[in-house]
Amino acid sequence: MNKGLITIAPGFEDIMPAEYRELVEHGPYEKGYGISDLGTFKELLEEHPLCAGCGLALSLRLILASLPNPEDTVIVGSTGCSSLAFPQVAVHNIHSLFGNQNAVASGLKRALKLRYPGRVKDVVVIAGDGATADIGLDMVMHSWFRRENITTIMLDNEAYANTGGQESGMSTLGTVLNMAPTGKKFPKLSLPEIAREAGCAYVAAVAPAQPKRLERAVKRAILVARETGPTYLQVFSPCPTNYKFPPKETVARIKQREKEGTFQYKEYIAPAAQELLALIEEGKKE
Amino acid sequence: MIEQKVVTPDHLLFQAGREEHFITGSEAVKEAIKRANVDMAISYPITPQSESMHLVGDIYAEGYLKEYYRGENEFAVMSAVAGASMGGVRIFTATGGPGTYRAFEMFPTWAGARLPIVCAFMTRGVNSPLSIQPDTIEMAALLDTGIMMFHAENGQDLYDMILKAFVIAEKTDVHIPAGVFADGFFVTHTRDKVAMPQANIKLPPYDPHSAPVPTMDMETVPLRQMRDPFVMKSNFISYAAHASWQQEIMAAAERARKHVDKYLGGLVEAENEEAEILIVASGTAVSQSRDAIKIARQEGIDVGLIKIKSIRPFPVKEIRSLTQKAKALIVPEFNRVGWLSREIKSSLDDTTKVVGGPRVFGGMTMPPEMILAEIRRCSA
Amino acid sequence: MLTTEYRVLAGPEGYLPPAAASMGVVLPEKGEALVEGEIVPEEVAMQKIIEKALAAKNPVFFPGPKILWAWKEGVAERAKAVKELAEALGAKIIPMPDYRPKYPMIDPNVEINPNHPNLTIWHNKIDVCFFVGVHCHYANMALKIIRGGTSCYTIALCGEEGHEDAMISLRDAGLKEIQKLTEIAKEKRALHD
Repeated sequence: MNKGLITIAPGFEDIMPAEYRELVEHGPYEKGYGISDLGTFKELLEEHPLCAGCGLALSLRLILASLPNPEDTVIVGSTGCSSLAFPQVAVHNIHSLFGNQNAVASGLKRALKLRYPGRVKDVVVIAGDGATADIGLDMVMHSWFRRENITTIMLDNEAYANTGGQESGMSTLGTVLNMAPTGKKFPKLSLPEIAREAGCAYVAAVAPAQPKRLERAVKRAILVARETGPTYLQVFSPCPTNYKFPPKETVARIKQREKEGTFQYKEYIAPAAQELLALIEEGKKE
Repeated sequence: MIEQKVVTPDHLLFQAGREEHFITGSEAVKEAIKRANVDMAISYPITPQSESMHLVGDIYAEGYLKEYYRGENEFAVMSAVAGASMGGVRIFTATGGPGTYRAFEMFPTWAGARLPIVCAFMTRGVNSPLSIQPDTIEMAALLDTGIMMFHAENGQDLYDMILKAFVIAEKTDVHIPAGVFADGFFVTHTRDKVAMPQANIKLPPYDPHSAPVPTMDMETVPLRQMRDPFVMKSNFISYAAHASWQQEIMAAAERARKHVDKYLGGLVEAENEEAEILIVASGTAVSQSRDAIKIARQEGIDVGLIKIKSIRPFPVKEIRSLTQKAKALIVPEFNRVGWLSREIKSSLDDTTKVVGGPRVFGGMTMPPEMILAEIRRCSA
Repeated sequence: MLTTEYRVLAGPEGYLPPAAASMGVVLPEKGEALVEGEIVPEEVAMQKIIEKALAAKNPVFFPGPKILWAWKEGVAERAKAVKELAEALGAKIIPMPDYRPKYPMIDPNVEINPNHPNLTIWHNKIDVCFFVGVHCHYANMALKIIRGGTSCYTIALCGEEGHEDAMISLRDAGLKEIQKLTEIAKEKRALHD
């Protein structure tokens, strides 16, 4: 990252609004913070309009706090609830249209590699379940087939939440939602397994109910994407608004689904990624 | 990478000595990209632009471009092109006909996002029914997307317009996409004389710092930047912001006029414009018109020609002043809707002198005799 | 068809003013500037800028990201020069730290945002403002909104090609030009005092 981006031009310090001064003094750039540091630093996400109890907002905050190198991360998002939060995120991010986020990320990653050869420039896709598994599935999968060095993170609230709660491919069988008045007729897509078969070197399914696990998965996914191949992370982020449960029950819902067996933590690591992670996590590699 | 000397656009386009080569339109695309200092190109097959992008791939393998790959569909390709452009590189792609329509959502997106992408459109018929043959109907659909549109008459135009499109598109006060249109097969697959300087020179590289919007690379201010956010929330004033943004995109095309004048030598080219009968055309319809005019002159009929090179921005002032004295404006087109005739009519106060035709489409050729028949009718 | 020339004057022009470029206003060439839609020599524009600023009740500078953050060589010097110019003109400084739609609500006392610049201008009763170090696209967006709904006189110290939607716009305004403006300001003030 150009450090100048977080350096106020001399003389203008006293006129910068507080939130920017906080970002300069307590931001996470080049500090190697993680989620255990939450509360001690200025988070990348400013005030946002997402609902009380939003599982997606919680997941997004945790993901952003887990980025290994926020100072050299560019995010590609897609239409959905998350794109209402992204204008307030303090790393460069691109709003693709809807479904083409992995195509946009492919072009972006190759351009950054070309302009900054040998430097870390993590391109991370963060999009909802509709964008990733339905409208974007072919472009998502082709970015995996092409072995693009990008991380794909799905914020799975099992519906098209931002448009009023319609059924998505990731909704579970039988769920009654808008456009599925008599219940969904086909099962939830098994995207982690599809990702593994499509060539992702690291795949995980996590949830904000276990923040440390989520953090580890984010870091692994991004580090593996740097060197080995595409990676996929599915984050179960329930939506109180469209599933009509009290906002304070979001995390409890995740735990309930885990108990019922309809949500599972997963991790698939390809052999090449295993080697890399072993090296990194044993501290032998930067 | 191939060794090439960076020269100024003026040198490459106007001063460097040129040699004539007898090449196809597809090869002209290749030759333009060779000298355009393009960083990246992304391709997808569709007739009749596949050959152009094969050749761009070949010169990538030779070292004229730094990155190239084939995408999975036109919408994906145009999306990846947008991502790359936001990342600060000079990028090229091409499509045509159904491919244009497949990618369509990306064209107003490119324009609104101020991306100086150059895309070649080798126009052809769109379904239903299917035809791979030449037809310019897709240009009608693109008129209001916000992209600039330059229409090539032949291989020479195609070569020059691609290079000039990069120069014009990347101007800070313009910085919107440019489509360079050539009629499929008529231009792409026929050989013609194209004069070009040697391939050991190239345009200066793209400078992302001169862009009117920040590059997405974590090296450019401001840090908290999304391209482009929803501009609609919070209160009615944000709707004004969206409106103002759209107006700015239209303004960008207006600002391109003086650059088009400089680099394309004018938005139009006029010959014998004092004549009472004028043919106003663009693309290969101009070539057919030239043949018709030659025969008409032999018959003693005085006909002039206005070749429109820039469709967007449209030469409203030029058309108004050049056609003042004319009694008839014949507008031959290779499409059924007559989009060029509509554009011309909306520029004039007196539309009764506009003859909306002849028109051929579906791949039919336009024999000069058709245009000649119209000329004779108008001069009677 | 237009029968009258479009002038770029202080508003309020109305609900949705047009882009000056779409009304035929053309950007100046090097060494020239724009004053209310007309091309004039840069000198003339500079004098007019200082005139307007010194006669203002509440002139304010709006520095943008390109000059607020020390991201490139030369920014620190330009920032200093801008501060000196503001001081010489008795103008306040309200920053435009970025371009994002502010949520939930902008604090118009401390910042300005191109999506709703009129909020800051109305709140602070700004009658003359300066844009400097703002990416051209966002400056143009903001300038139209200001001309539409406020009576604020806008001045753009543009480092690139200039802005038709501002009442006065310089082009290629770098360190030298900003320092020149400060000189002119000091001269004019000395005459008055």
